[in-house]
Amino acid sequence: MDELEAIKVTFFQECEELLADLEGGLLAMEEGAGDLETVNAVFRAVHSIKGGAGAFGLEPLVRFAHVFETLLDAVRAGSVPNTVELAAVLLRASDILADHVSAARGLGDVDMAASAAMAAELEQWTDPNATPTAPAPVAAPTVAEEPAPAPALIGADDDAMDGDDLGFVFVPQTITVEAQAADAELIPSNVWTVSIRPKSDLYRKANETALLLRELSRLGPIKATLDDSALPLLQNLDPEAAFITWSVRLETDQDETAIREVFEFVDGDCDLEITRGEGSVEASIAALTAPAEPVAAVEPIAPAPEPVEVAPPIAPPAAAPVAEVAPAVEAAKPAAAAPAAAAAAAAPKATPVEVPGPGQSVIRVDPERIDRLIDLVGELVINQAMLAQRVGEYGIAPSSNLAMGLDELEQLTREIQDSVMAIRAQPVKSVFQRMPRLVREVANMTGKQARLVMDGENTEVDKTVIERLSDPITHMLRNAIDHGLESPEERKAAGKNPEGVVRLAALHRSGRIVIEVSDDGKGINRERVFGIAVKKGLIAPDLQLTDEEIDNLIFLPGFSTAEKISDVSGRGVGMDVVKRSVQALGGRISISSRPGQGSTFTLSLPLTLAVLDGMVVDVAGETLVVPLAAIVESLRPKPEEVRPLGPVGSVLAVRDSFVPLIDVGLTLGYREESPHPTDGVVLLVEGEDGSRAALVADAIHGQRQVVIKSLEQNYQQVEGVAAATILGDGRVALILDVDATINLRRREGGAPRPPEPSLIAAE
Amino acid sequence: MPQASTISVLVVDDQLTMRALIRNALQQIGFKDIREAPDGEEALKNLLAKPANLVISDFNMPKMDGLALLRAVRSHPPIRQTAFVMLTGRADRELVQRAVQFGVNNYCVKPFTVQGLKEKIEQVFGQLT
Repeated sequence: MDELEAIKVTFFQECEELLADLEGGLLAMEEGAGDLETVNAVFRAVHSIKGGAGAFGLEPLVRFAHVFETLLDAVRAGSVPNTVELAAVLLRASDILADHVSAARGLGDVDMAASAAMAAELEQWTDPNATPTAPAPVAAPTVAEEPAPAPALIGADDDAMDGDDLGFVFVPQTITVEAQAADAELIPSNVWTVSIRPKSDLYRKANETALLLRELSRLGPIKATLDDSALPLLQNLDPEAAFITWSVRLETDQDETAIREVFEFVDGDCDLEITRGEGSVEASIAALTAPAEPVAAVEPIAPAPEPVEVAPPIAPPAAAPVAEVAPAVEAAKPAAAAPAAAAAAAAPKATPVEVPGPGQSVIRVDPERIDRLIDLVGELVINQAMLAQRVGEYGIAPSSNLAMGLDELEQLTREIQDSVMAIRAQPVKSVFQRMPRLVREVANMTGKQARLVMDGENTEVDKTVIERLSDPITHMLRNAIDHGLESPEERKAAGKNPEGVVRLAALHRSGRIVIEVSDDGKGINRERVFGIAVKKGLIAPDLQLTDEEIDNLIFLPGFSTAEKISDVSGRGVGMDVVKRSVQALGGRISISSRPGQGSTFTLSLPLTLAVLDGMVVDVAGETLVVPLAAIVESLRPKPEEVRPLGPVGSVLAVRDSFVPLIDVGLTLGYREESPHPTDGVVLLVEGEDGSRAALVADAIHGQRQVVIKSLEQNYQQVEGVAAATILGDGRVALILDVDATINLRRREGGAPRPPEPSLIAAE
Repeated sequence: MPQASTISVLVVDDQLTMRALIRNALQQIGFKDIREAPDGEEALKNLLAKPANLVISDFNMPKMDGLALLRAVRSHPPIRQTAFVMLTGRADRELVQRAVQFGVNNYCVKPFTVQGLKEKIEQVFGQLT
């Protein structure tokens, strides 16, 4: 049973890939680029999902897939025309199919009414004359699919199961293993095909093919065939050129090297091809995959090999068995299929849905093994840093062999770290491929026409980051369609294509991943944004702001420009939430806009969450790391800039605003009494919600990349501390949780809350 | 009576899930030497590198489908005696007829049970032990 459960997991993984293939193919069809190969690939995807689902008894999924498949089969056969309208319907059907798959997996519900309606629509397309079958009685609006009973049937294809004959007389062709073995023994042990195509130089150097053939014949019996098909007519014949090819069938116990030796003296003067057996596999495949000839032309299969034909020996198992399924590692074709699908989705004009070559094998590895490797490399980095520090302490000259060897070790360590990180890196397409559907749905909901263009799906980023990209991207896309794009009428009036274009792109820039979501809509109405911000008390009415600053007001908490509450970008979530979740990942988000031409959201994230760029500081004799992303600047306050506020608190004047001063040592309980801020250094930090604070530390040691170690896993959660790391000298340092520190201080009332605008529940 | 454990099988299907399911069924029947290939082309290369006693192949696969694989197997003398069982859907009657002309040993209509598959194989090799 466990094994079947494991197969089921595989099935759902494969379903993801098949659904991506399906969508990619359908998008190509929607662009009018659906050739037969694409239709066939689309059919195969649905067929395969149905087959697997049948094996696991996933009834609702099988039923829906069946209707879907029937229509696709009709399209494939040409009885239903392959049109753009049809592709649009099929795309919606693929969304429902995806819902069924998720439901079968226990990850959601299917809107059974919508499913039944879609099934009826598909049936109508298959046969317009048929009266639509009554939709299945809808017991409840949404029904999670039943868990499957133990699979009894393999590869369900139809619901009906009445015997396995197809209604014609067929006598199974019996065969015995002994016969196969005997047959194999008839085959001579060593047959080679040597193809020789002399170039004119061969003759010019006074070599002679006959001599080569004579040499070959010393290795064993030969049968030479001359191919003069390239020989031109006499009037066109260049007497000094070479036109003739020999194909020699050679039987010998010698190996390939021995055969090659014969041609030692004509090396480079003739094209030589030595293959085992009769002709090459590739040639046979080419011949056999050529358009099928009529069945009648195929001669009956001879019961035994003809004596003339001889065959290659039964070779030792040199070629690795294809795709041995092991629990964790497995040569996988589907993983390689995904890029093709994504490529098809991105560039729907590229006609066929590509199929990956056999060479592109991919290894699937249990992610835990990679995490372990990353942990170990983290240890290695720390160890190496400790060694380097020790060597420095002993005063060993940098030019000494030891120090130089250590430098090399450092270099290697860094390379190992990069390579290991690269293993866990994944292309962002796993997130991107879910977006076309989102765009379709949001466009439908808002009555807008939107086309999604994706770029850079193969940009790689650490898997820890990938998992958290989905929400911000979803939000930005929703926002772009809902707020960015105009309605088709408005667009027409503005002289634009009624269909808006939303572009989603990923790229690497200076060690970070950048995600851009842009639209060609109306751009941000700055006057209105400014007005709303003032009205909601977020900014002072007389504040002078640049255009860019006004655009970025939309990230303020409590800001929403939607005049009517839509259920699209709404759901009580504004761009401030997006900004906060992005900052939590050490990322930044910004927007730029040009009136009438559209807006662009730019999101930048670190490539990994396994290491962190931090500032190492000293607080009350302890070493702490402050995430660099949170730090705005560091400064040494002058006495006149520090103002007392309340009984214990104080604020720092930073240019024209006041920022609460927080002594980290006090907050974390390292000390009872705060030193005067002018004795130390102050880090001006910005929390995820945009609130600022001035953290007081005793000294700054500098910027360093540190390996993040979870405190929860190794110890327990500590308030105000995000994680821990190990420094070069082997000491454990805590990584400060800037937001928690700010909030902790606020809650304790040690410092007054900064003058914050009262938040209006805007959405 | 041939022993299932001595018969080598090559399972050909573009679906990882189906290959795993068929492998599982074959193991239940008693087969030990089971290999897999994701399409006809890979299957043919695999067979030419190391022949098998039995091929169980799906029909609809990318690159080289089951029918083309059957033809290829029958036209390569060293492996032409390989027993070939085609997996097919109910709707593919015509396909089976063509497969018969190309010398298929047996066919098995999906969905099938482990027992059903076993019977289909036994019709080719005789009762398995």
